Amino acid sequence: MKVGISSTGTSLESNVDMRFGRCPYFIIYDTESNDFEHIENQSRQAMGGAGIQAAQMIIDKKVGVVITGNVGPNAHRVLGSANIKIYSGITGTVKDAIEKLKKDEFKETAGPDVPSHFGTG
Amino acid sequence: MILSVASGKGGTGKTTVAVNLALSVGFCQFMDYDVEAPNAAFFLKPDIKHIQKVEMKHPYFLKEVCNACGKCAEFCNFNAVAVAGDEVIFFPELCHGCGGCLLVCPEGAVREKDVEIGKIKKGFSKPGINFYMGDLKPGYMRTISVQAALDKFIEKDILIIIDCPPGTSCPMVFSVKDSDYCILVTEPTPYGLNDLLISIEVLKDMGIPYGVIINRDGIGNDEVENYCRKNNIKILLKIPNDMEVAKYYSRGESMLDYDISWKGKFENILKEIKKDVRK
Repeated sequence: MKVGISSTGTSLESNVDMRFGRCPYFIIYDTESNDFEHIENQSRQAMGGAGIQAAQMIIDKKVGVVITGNVGPNAHRVLGSANIKIYSGITGTVKDAIEKLKKDEFKETAGPDVPSHFGTG
Repeated sequence: MILSVASGKGGTGKTTVAVNLALSVGFCQFMDYDVEAPNAAFFLKPDIKHIQKVEMKHPYFLKEVCNACGKCAEFCNFNAVAVAGDEVIFFPELCHGCGGCLLVCPEGAVREKDVEIGKIKKGFSKPGINFYMGDLKPGYMRTISVQAALDKFIEKDILIIIDCPPGTSCPMVFSVKDSDYCILVTEPTPYGLNDLLISIEVLKDMGIPYGVIINRDGIGNDEVENYCRKNNIKILLKIPNDMEVAKYYSRGESMLDYDISWKGKFENILKEIKKDVRK
């Protein structure tokens, strides 16, 4: 299964970014092969709909689980429609987050936890 | 003559100047182009007689025809369309109505319908002001579409006063584009000066003559005034920082209500402006 993590940087030592739509990078981690890649988040500079665009990218990458700091209503709706599990409110390094996910320590986020435009500016 | 009232910084007194100028001149057409937050009506108290919808095209998606290929979402530069699973999700507040999703859909699953994005309100204010305002529907990003609808009501051979939105981005540029002259309202603070300079750059680029009104004169420092003098920019008026003026404003009353001598001052501004207008 592929995991998409909003990240402040390009390595597993980077922190989980508190923004979903406007984080600088996404780490896409494969829990079967333990391989990962980083993707620069093109939505970061979007005038509007950054969360929607980022969610679309996550879907296109065939990600099954998203780990992030906060997720807004639009991104939540798009990810939810694609049956992608969302774990938000996560802090610490990307590596720790993946370990916790593997140990099944996270609770799924039922709804958006920040209003629209939270990660702007 | 089209006379616009703009500023970089918000809250410097655009509406105060535009409204009091209109009331001083008496006969003109007043247009509130600050469609995201129109407020001139609080002061001019127009008798609104006509309300007209502003509409744009929005797509809708035929579920039974759509195969969720995602071409529409890929095309949309404004992220108004997403495709998740077998579902198209449309975010109307982000749509610019370009119709691109309809063009790129290989299945013919996209149709268009008219939706309301705002209103144009027309009325009459005393003594002889034809009043127009645009009112954008909250949550929509179609500021310029509503302003473009206002454009159609601009008459010829009458003084048009345009109350512009703050800032120097597209909505401001659109509001001043046909102006023969633009009044820049600023306050004598570093923030006021910074945004004044940006506004001046915009107007220079557009070839629109301009002059400055300093509001809340007495606060801050002399830098706005020094800059204007050094660069031969006309200071049309200074409005002192006066608690009484603020009190009248907060009740929706004009500066003329407070002190009728403002009428003559604003009429003089118009005379000054006429010397410098484009055309």
